This record gives sequence, C-alpha cells and structure tokens, in this order.
Amino acid sequence: MTATLEAGHEVETSEQQFATFYVGNILLGVDIRQVQEINRQLSVTEVPHSPDYVRGVINLRGEVTTVVDLRTILGLPHEDMGREGRNLIVNSQGESIGLLVDRISDILTLRSDQISPPPSNVDGVQGRFLSGVHTLDSEILVILNIEEALGDRTREE
Amino acid sequence: MSFDDELVAEFVVEANEHLADVENQFLTIEEAGSDVDVDLVNEVFRAIHSIKGAAGFLGLTKVNDLAHSMENILNKMRNLELSPNSAMIDVMLRSADKLQGLINDIQNSNDVDVSSFVKELEGITEEKQDSSPPAEAVAEESASEPAEEEPVDEEPVAEEAQAEVAAEEVATQPTSEEPQPEETAKPQAPASSNSANDKKKPATNTSVAPEASIRVPVGVLDKLMNLAGELVLGRNQLMQAIASNSGSGLDAIASRLDQVTSEVQESIMQTRMQQIGTVFAKFPRIVRDLSGKLGKQCNLNIEGKEVEVDKTIIEAIGDPLTHLIRNSVDHGVENPPDRIKAGKPVEGTMNLRASYQAGKVHIEIEDDGAGINPQKLKEKAVSKGIITADKAEQMSDREAVRLIFHPGFSMAAKVTDVSGRGVGMDVVRTNIAKLGGTVDVESTVGSGTNIVITLPLTLAIIPSLIVQCKNDRFAIPQVNIAELVRVRGEELTTRLGRVKDAEVLRLRGNLLPLVRLEETLGMHTSKSEVSEESTSSEAGEGNLSSEPADEAINIIVLETGQQRFGVIVDGLHESEEIVVKPLGRHLQKCPCLSGATILGDGHVALILDVAGVAVYEDISCNEELSGEELEGARTEQKEDSQYMLLFSNHPQEHFAVSMDVISRIERIRSDQVDSVGGHELLQYRNSTMPLLRLENCIIAKMAEQAERLYVVVFEVSGNEIGLVAPTLEDIRDVTMSIDAVTFREKGVLGSMVLEEQTTRYIDLFELAELTHPEWFEKHDVVHESEGQPPLILLAEDSNFFRKQVSEMIRERGYLVVDCEDGLVAWETLDSGEYEFDLVVTDIEMPNMDGFELSQRIKQSSQWGNLPVIALTSLAGSADIQHGIEVGIDDYQIKMDRDKLLNSIQNFAGKVAGNNRPALQTS
Repeated sequence: MTATLEAGHEVETSEQQFATFYVGNILLGVDIRQVQEINRQLSVTEVPHSPDYVRGVINLRGEVTTVVDLRTILGLPHEDMGREGRNLIVNSQGESIGLLVDRISDILTLRSDQISPPPSNVDGVQGRFLSGVHTLDSEILVILNIEEALGDRTREE
Repeated sequence: MSFDDELVAEFVVEANEHLADVENQFLTIEEAGSDVDVDLVNEVFRAIHSIKGAAGFLGLTKVNDLAHSMENILNKMRNLELSPNSAMIDVMLRSADKLQGLINDIQNSNDVDVSSFVKELEGITEEKQDSSPPAEAVAEESASEPAEEEPVDEEPVAEEAQAEVAAEEVATQPTSEEPQPEETAKPQAPASSNSANDKKKPATNTSVAPEASIRVPVGVLDKLMNLAGELVLGRNQLMQAIASNSGSGLDAIASRLDQVTSEVQESIMQTRMQQIGTVFAKFPRIVRDLSGKLGKQCNLNIEGKEVEVDKTIIEAIGDPLTHLIRNSVDHGVENPPDRIKAGKPVEGTMNLRASYQAGKVHIEIEDDGAGINPQKLKEKAVSKGIITADKAEQMSDREAVRLIFHPGFSMAAKVTDVSGRGVGMDVVRTNIAKLGGTVDVESTVGSGTNIVITLPLTLAIIPSLIVQCKNDRFAIPQVNIAELVRVRGEELTTRLGRVKDAEVLRLRGNLLPLVRLEETLGMHTSKSEVSEESTSSEAGEGNLSSEPADEAINIIVLETGQQRFGVIVDGLHESEEIVVKPLGRHLQKCPCLSGATILGDGHVALILDVAGVAVYEDISCNEELSGEELEGARTEQKEDSQYMLLFSNHPQEHFAVSMDVISRIERIRSDQVDSVGGHELLQYRNSTMPLLRLENCIIAKMAEQAERLYVVVFEVSGNEIGLVAPTLEDIRDVTMSIDAVTFREKGVLGSMVLEEQTTRYIDLFELAELTHPEWFEKHDVVHESEGQPPLILLAEDSNFFRKQVSEMIRERGYLVVDCEDGLVAWETLDSGEYEFDLVVTDIEMPNMDGFELSQRIKQSSQWGNLPVIALTSLAGSADIQHGIEVGIDDYQIKMDRDKLLNSIQNFAGKVAGNNRPALQTS
C-alpha cells in the first residue's frame, strides 16, 4: 500500500500546475492548489499598526481576510494598482490571505525537471521567497514560495 | 504516521474526556484514604482501561505501557489489596499528567521514555508486597525530576533497576505488550529519514492533531435543524416574492426571517455554552500540589460549576484564574503556625464561586488568609514611584488594595517560584479586560481577601457603537462606553485643556484624559478626503488653536474597569450587535484592535480594544490628575441642577427636556414617519410609535423640513412616545433657575436663560397628556373614593420643583403639605399637627438632607412605619445603597411623573389612614 501511495506522490510532483501573474514586471507563479480564487476586491479596510506589507482586510464572504501587498514583501517600490490589478486569494496554513497582483497571466503545467533551483536573487527578489525558476521563451517564471513569503518576517528584521 | 489519522484523532478526544475527571477522582480517593470507595476506583479503572485498550489497538505503545501500569495499581486498590496514600496518589497524578502529555502529542508519543513512571508505579505494588518503607519511592521521585544523565549516586542502580523492570514486564506480560514497539518502529523509521523538506511538514501537522470539538445537546441540534428549515422556507418565499415582482408579502417575509435569524443566533450561541466547571476542575489539584509544596493546608470549595459561559471565555479564563488561585494559596493563606497564632483553623479555606448576575458571570475567589495590608501597599507604591506620597495619603484603603493591579507591582514580599515570575496581577487584569470583563479586589487585614471577576456571557456577539474615524468605521463595545459627550465649537476652548502635555476634557468638575482616535491609530487623511476637513485638520494636527471654532467634536467616554478616558472621533453611527471575526495571523500584534466585524453594508469594521488603547496611550499615568484638581468645581455642583437635553425646533427657539425621563434618542429619516388620521407615527422595530411635534402642542414656530430627525423617546403609562427634536444642541448639567410664569402653558414648565438664549423647559408628560389624554384617564383622581384623601408631606428645597411636584400630587386628589427643607419637614411632622400617610423628599437639601430626614423618621418610634419616597435625578447606585441603609422605601426620578404618582399611590393608597398605626384602622 505504501508503495502505491508513494507512486501516486511521484506523479503529483512530476507535473504541477501554476497560476502565473505579474507583480511589476516580474512574472511569478504559485502552485495552483494553493489558489482559492481570484477576484477584484481591491478596496481594503486599512488596519492601524499593522505591518507595512499588510494592505488591510476585506470581507471575503463573511470572513475577514488579510490582504498583503506582494510588492512590499518582494522589496519593490510602492505603486497603485492598475486596471488589471487583482486580488489573488491563497490558502496558507488554513487561512485565506489575499495577495495584490498587477495582472493575472496564464496557467502553466510544468514537469518538475522543467523547474530549476532558484538563484540567490532574481530581479532584486530575495532567493528565500522563491522555490524555483522556469525559463519561458521570452521571460523567466519565478515560482513563489508562499509560506516563506507570508512567514514571520519579524524574525529576520 | 503509520496509523489511521482519523481513528487517532478520535482516540485523543475520547482519552481526554476520560482523563478530564480522573484527576479529581484521584484527589477524592486520596481524601478517603484507607476507606476506599470501590465504585469510584472502579470508575477510574475503567477510564484508564479504555485508554489502554484503544492505545494497544492503535499501536501507541508508550501510552499503553503507562496506562497498563496505572491500571495495575487501580486494580489492586479496588480489590482492597492496596490502600491508597498520599505518596501513591502523587505518583498516580504525575503518571496521569504524563499520560495526558503523551496523548496531547500523540504523534510523537512512541518516542517518549515513560520507563521511569512505569517503574515508579511498579514500585508501589512491589513495595506493598515487600512491605518496604516508602523512602525508595521518594528517592525515585526526586531522581526522575532532573535530567537523566545527571550522575547521581543511585543512578546506575536505578538504571539497572529499570532494565530489570523492563525485563520483568516482558516476563509478566509476555504476549501482548512487548513486541509492539518493534512493529511500530519499522514504519516510523522511513518517516524520520525523509528529506529535509518533508521534515518541516510533520512539524506543522502535529499541531493540527485533533480539531477542537464540543458536545452539544441533541435538543439544541434538533432546534437548529428546524430553524434551518424555517430559513430555507423564508428564502423560498423571498425568492418567489421577488420573482413575481409583486413585493406585497415582503414585509411579512422580512419579519419572519428576522425572527428566525434571531432564534438561529440564540441557538447557536447555546451550542457554544459550556459549563465553567471544566475550568474549575483543575484547581483542586493545583491547590493540593501547591499547598503541599509550601507546607500549607488549604481546602478549596467550589460552587457554581454548572454556570455556563461561551467557549471562548472558558478557554481564555483558565490562565488568569489559575494565577489568582495560586496567588491565594501562596500569599493569601498563612503558614499553619501563623494561622494558629491568629486563632484560625490550621486548614485555610478558599472558596471559588461562579454565579450569574445581571446577564453577566461573576467569579469570586475568596480566601480566609492574612488579607492585604493597604498601608504596606501604599508604602511600596510610593517607593516604586507609582503614586505620590500625597496621593497615597488621600487614598482610601479600598483604592490602595487595588494597587495590586497596577503594572510594575508585584504583590509578593519576596519573589517565589510560585508567583512573582513577572506575570503580575496587571497581566491578569489586562487579560480579563480583553474578554470584556473586570476584576476587583476587596480585602480585610487578618480575615481574608476576595477577588471578584465579572465576565460577559459571550464574546461572539457584542453590542457595539460604530464610530467614524477619517474614512473608516470602528466598533467600540458598549460595555466599555460610559457616555457620549459632544462639545460644541464655542465651548472647545473652555472645556478642553492640556495638563502635562496630555489633552483633557473638563467633565462635571473632573479632568478626563483625552485621546484622538486618528492619532492613536496613526490614520492618514487620504486623497478622497472631504474638502472641509482637508483644510482644517492638516494645518496642525492635535493643535487645539487651529481647530475650526465652529466644529463640534464627539467624545466617547470609555471605561476599562481601571482607567477612564475620552476618545475623540470624527462621527458617530448607529449602535449594532456585531459578530466578532478574528483577524488573520499577520495582524495579531496590533495593539489597539481586538478583532473585526462585518457591517450591514458588507464593509469591514475593526473592533477597538479599549484596554489596548489605554495601554498604548499610557493612560494609567494620567489617572491621578483627574482627582487632584478642580475641587472648587465640585462644590458648585451641590446646587440644584438637572441633566438637560437641549434642542431647537426652529433656529430661534430653544427647548430643554430633563434627561431623566428620556428612555433614549433615535435618529430617523423623515420618510420613516407616517401620517395616519392626523397623528404622526414612526415605523419602528416592527411596531409604530406615536410622534409629537412641539408646534402642534404648544405655541412654537414650525420646524424646518429636514431629511433626518432626532426623536426623543419617553414612556407614558407603558406606552412609548416620541417627541420630534429637529436639531440636538447639547446634553448637560443645567442649574435650575426657572421662571415659571412668563412662558407657562400646558406642556411648558417655565423658561430659563442659557447662554443668553431663552430656553423653554418642556414637560414631556404634559405634552403627552395634551395629545393622548386617554393614557391618563385610568388613574385619575383619588378622592372620589370614600374617606379623606391621603396626606403627603413633601420636602424639596427648589421652589420650582416643590411647586411642580406639589401641584402634580394635588391634581391627583391628594393633600400636600410642602416644606422647603428637611428640617422644616421634620419639625412639621414632629409637631403632630398633621397625620401624614407618606413622605416625599428630595435628597440634596440645606439644613437637613433627605437621608437624614429619612433616618430620623425611620428611627422614631412614632413614625417608623411611615413610607418615604426619595426624589432624585438619575440616582447613582451609591446613593441608592445609602438610601436603603437609612430606610428609604422607594426612589423616583423627579420629572417622571407617571412613575412617581404610581409609587405614591402604592405607598399612600387611596384613602387616608392606611399607613397610620395599625390600631387605628383595624
């Protein structure tokens, strides 16, 4: 039984789907299984005394959901959301969290051998937030490690 | 993980249920001593046995081992082969703790070494057989506490012994137990040798273990099911009504949905209610262990286990209560020698009581120990610089005792490992305040201390006031709100001031520290700001002089149980019952927020943590200045004054209404007012309320049309009625210097000059009588019945009120003798000229006040039976308490004529003589 389970596991890791999106001009991807929904709820209620990367909270069907600004987390300069801005809701440790992204792109299916380990730094983004990169025809897809990006940031500061 | 997660989770829940009672059962067994209660032991035996059985089945070897050893002893106990003693129970208790520990971290339980416990337990049974002295067990105990590697002399021996025990175990239970660890070890090995990446996952997974579950009575679930059916029905009706576009039955559907929703809410709250006994259960053990450790003797009595409170409160109250209990044992109860010296029984008594009081839960922790010495506390507080020596002088003992809740104050004279580990009483207080509760302490030196905690029944739904701050709305729990104060533009300079860099508000002779919400929260004016504000407040935030003179400010006076302070907000919205939603993990550290809620329009509003704001703004240090100053202002308050609501009907016409008779003030839209048959009605909470307009009742100019109106709601003979007050101006204390002639008409009591404006003083009851005379008919005129009408003695120093009240009583057909103060009243009574049936007296009077008058009357042999009604402005509870002490029979509000007359009728009856000495009437 263990053997079959492990085999199943193998299949899963070998091919993965990623939801991809832009923050600034960086193309990022997250494991699609972590994505709960994508919506246009961009007007947030600001939370006083919150960490700088938290934009505020929204009402997501009755749940008060934290919305974080990926730009701040990734160390990019602040910019207002454009018309194509979206709120990408991901599930992290059982909690829904919204990520503000500038534009949604495609869903990509990648085999694990198509993903290479992350360099220490991509476009100024720290390596620890990345779990890998994939080279497309014209650009690089950076795969985001959500747990690391949403992790306890006070530790390093 | 080699076993079925679901099964394991179930096991954990079940085992916890079994273990929950075991602790106290052991304690009871200990108490009974050799007089073994076999049934009880049996119960424990079964509990442990079930755990053992399930653990064996699931391959939880260590749990199984430990449970098995415990079971052995219990078996001997129930067969009366073993007589329980303290040392034995001690081992059993610690083993039960260990078992609990294993179960709480079930995934790793097989890696835990339990052999020392098993050995100790085996030791008990062997001991008995060898009838050797228990010294070994004690040595064992101490040896098992420190780290295992510690080279104690006996250690090698102990290790050998352990091996022996293990061997013995194999020998005694050769079949079932031993082989299992090997079996489970195999599947575990690959798990631990997994890649580093995988290693992280189990770490987070273990915390998921069993999701918290709760037991719900089936009846409640059935009710919820029914209600869910009702909801679906309501929804279907609603969909139909909308689809058919008729919109006719909508009202009925809405009110039905409203009702069902409220019931659903209530039932769901019920499912969350748990008995507080679950928290109390661990305290007998704590008291036992601790008093043993400290060489004291304590007895803990528990009452009110069955009191039910919300799950969230149950979870949160454990730590503060534990702290208080430990404190009582450590600092409260004295050492046996001291107790004997003080003439008390050697065994200290502690009472832990829970009860419902006025929709809240009271928890009392009482001990009969040494009490807290207020003098020592003061000295210490002064030496620590918490208060000044002057302040200490002025402090009452009660206030001084409360110093223990002050941050930076450790009650223990010396720091022990029991308390004084940096978790002070101030932490207890803050934690309780976070739950929306308060904590207070009372202590008598030499006879004990009593700590009283008051908690709300639930946290999930709280009535709150929604306020505006810049562009956002915030919810403030009503429990924290003392009052709302509006300071008009022209009063800003006189009522707001600065003391030592802190803004303060002058409020009835006291200085109240002020906080600006937008500054506290660091809110920034955003671009979409309303134009008038962007010009004014940006110029100099917090600088009073730059405040536009004509802008009134709203201040919410907040209380945390300890501090009292005002918060300036930009605007007030309605009061709502809000459902508390937790904030995400990134927002746990926000100091001023306790959660969030979703408002009716779908937007999120954050809930202010009032205690948090006080801490953040460091309010506590401002406390002292409120008391020090403005003694003069206080004395002037003695003059007869009333709280008045001031409003205008027309820009040139100002009116005042006594606050005491107002039930509440509503803000409505003018389209909510219907006109039916010449009467105006307000659609209001599924019923209608008649409305009055001043211009229809008295000589007054028409009010201007406005989109929104205020309605002053008051009650007449059980009917609610509203007076339209188009523009509210202020609520404040007004000295009663009234001209009762110039403007007197039915509905207007008189006039006064306030800020150079003539303000007419409205009698709401007369207004109501003008429009709804039928409400007043039923209790008209007493004297139609046979005999002499009752004779009433009225004592009131204000000419105005004396005339009002006396006229009012006379109108009802009573006879009245009025006196201008208590002394005159007493002389009149004492002269024996009249035979009175009732005394109605004001409280604040020159020469002799109402308390003294009542006391004299009640203490006299002649007039002791004469009922006394006291007239007050909204009575403070301290006043009422005092009144009860001196024998006042009833309190009534001066201007609430309805209730006053009812009360008079109750006490005086309809005919004279009811209250005169019984001999005359019978």
